[in-house]
Amino acid sequence: MSDEHSTSMRRALSLANIGVGVAGSYLGYALQHAFLGEGERGAKLKATHTRAARRMADEMKSLRGAAMKLGQTLSLQTGTLPDEMLAELATLQMSAPPMHPSLVRAQFKQSLGAEPESIFKEFDPEPFAAASLGQVHHAITNKGERVAVKIQYPGIRQSLANDFKMFRALSKPAQASGHIPKGAIDEVEQQIVAETDYRKEADNAEFFRKRLAPLTFVEVPRILREYSSDKVLTMSLMKGQHIDDFLARRPSQKLRNQLGDHLFELFYFQVLELQALHADPHWGNYLFTNDAGISLVDFGCAKYMSKSTVGYLRAGFLYPGSTSSPEFRHLLEKYYEDEGRQLAPATRRALVGFAENFYRKVYPPDLEHAEPFDFGDPQFLNDFLAASKDLFRARGVLSELIFMVRAEMGMYQTLHRLKAKVHTSAIVRKYL
Amino acid sequence: MATKRTSRKTAAPRKAKTKATPRKVVRPSRQTRSKPQATANRAATKEAIREKIVKAALSLFQTKGFDATTTKAIARKAGIAEGTVFNYFKSKDDIALHFFEQEVDSAMAAVRDNPRLKKAPLEEKLFALVHAQLEYLAPYERFIGSALIHALKPSSPLGPFSHRAMELRHRYLRFVEELIEESIPKKQNPLGFLAPEVFWIYYMGALLYWLYDTSEGKQHTLAFLDRSLTLGAAMLKQSKRYVR
Repeated sequence: MSDEHSTSMRRALSLANIGVGVAGSYLGYALQHAFLGEGERGAKLKATHTRAARRMADEMKSLRGAAMKLGQTLSLQTGTLPDEMLAELATLQMSAPPMHPSLVRAQFKQSLGAEPESIFKEFDPEPFAAASLGQVHHAITNKGERVAVKIQYPGIRQSLANDFKMFRALSKPAQASGHIPKGAIDEVEQQIVAETDYRKEADNAEFFRKRLAPLTFVEVPRILREYSSDKVLTMSLMKGQHIDDFLARRPSQKLRNQLGDHLFELFYFQVLELQALHADPHWGNYLFTNDAGISLVDFGCAKYMSKSTVGYLRAGFLYPGSTSSPEFRHLLEKYYEDEGRQLAPATRRALVGFAENFYRKVYPPDLEHAEPFDFGDPQFLNDFLAASKDLFRARGVLSELIFMVRAEMGMYQTLHRLKAKVHTSAIVRKYL
Repeated sequence: MATKRTSRKTAAPRKAKTKATPRKVVRPSRQTRSKPQATANRAATKEAIREKIVKAALSLFQTKGFDATTTKAIARKAGIAEGTVFNYFKSKDDIALHFFEQEVDSAMAAVRDNPRLKKAPLEEKLFALVHAQLEYLAPYERFIGSALIHALKPSSPLGPFSHRAMELRHRYLRFVEELIEESIPKKQNPLGFLAPEVFWIYYMGALLYWLYDTSEGKQHTLAFLDRSLTLGAAMLKQSKRYVR
């Protein structure tokens, strides 16, 4: 074991060396951040979400990009990190170093052939928000439309690829022991690399804009393809406030409850109706309005789920019978089989524990007498984390569900911050 | 499209001027008028030929390589006699040096003439400078590579020991020094005397990095410049703490 460990370590180091030589590593950006100190770092991006990130311990800040997302799936279960920190991690975003105006112009020009000032009627060289892998600027088109222009930091794709090379090697022991399923790293890498192509994000945004239309309380930006490329994405400006600003205005319990219901419905509508999910739960990606509306931004990370997965979830959600019944057991076995895995007894016990200790509490099966669930009480988050840890120890993590679970945890985290009381089971029932 | 529009624009006021000129105005005599104009014309023609030669030479350096290009071929490409080339340049090295002088001048002008950069931090100004240089060099990438190797030959006028090349480097580094002083006053920068020299080595490194960068659109070079300059500027700003 130790031999195997040291070999993979050495391999990781040599691979990392190659990587750093060519394009550096995404983690390198974090080191650069550390060197610059708080003042310079905070100067450029006054975006609200950094406040969320700042709450985290400094060591956690250096876990970014690929490291961060993989770290999430790993540490979530091994219990190496405090629970609150994990909850924060789920909503942390991959943030590249801020770009000064000259770099923004160089990057924009290389992508669209001209400087932003000559393409737009107005362009604000100072970013108003950090985004996954880049930053966002205000602009006004020649037709007078106010837009948000997202610009990617150069060379990010290669940096991420380098980090993944390293992590593949570093996580060999965990892969061998079965704690990380074979496909998990592929799944995470695929999703993250997809985020570096803004054209894919444009496709995602258009898909969700069309398909989320039945939910009248949700807004999705319109993509302006003529001002977009793989590294620049221009979209209509969304209205609403980030959660920090929204909460700062002390919204009423009624409004928070309404918003909670909406967030909840949005999640289950996506999973059960669209079979696709906006899977980046970062707080910067949600804007809330005073009439309980939700504006979604940043569609870099979208998870399109398989039919069998959605079928399994449909059957498992609000399971009416006993979770120790042979039928429930058969349901679990069949799904694991479909995913090419065998359901070990320990995994089954962990899943039953999850259903009993978390889902039955948050989603009461008795609809007639059910009170809305109060997400203000932090106990449910602890239950969720404890159950996930058990599942990880029992080697029950399925690659297919990594992003859904992350989004689900992000939603719970937001609901907790809103202290919302939500009609959980009634909403899920609507779409079963 | 754009050129058409500008030519029309410039043509219009000239017409208006001739119409508005009153007849009474005493025109300068032929002699006084033609002398400076003729000199100006001659200078303009000279400059045009010089540019023609440089353009022809660069296109040959790029396609045939620096070593394989002869002055004869340059003359033929430019459509002039070989002897005429020597009226303007001593050798093809001389032509290359002229190109690098233009490159440095245009990059310095790009930084100075950009009002947006007036209050920019040091790392941004330096980024703009190097980026402008690389943009200028981009069409001749192949030639730049061979010129770098050629410059290492001891007798080469492009080499670091030729008088003209030294002068160019001095002018460039003086400018870098100015940029640094704008951000960090001399008194607060005990390493200031060293900074331009270090920057020169850095620039050479960046040039090599750029030449070897096979990423699409030289994306890695952009990231490299950004990260290294930010780091460098931060170190310079903090140097007072460590050096007495």
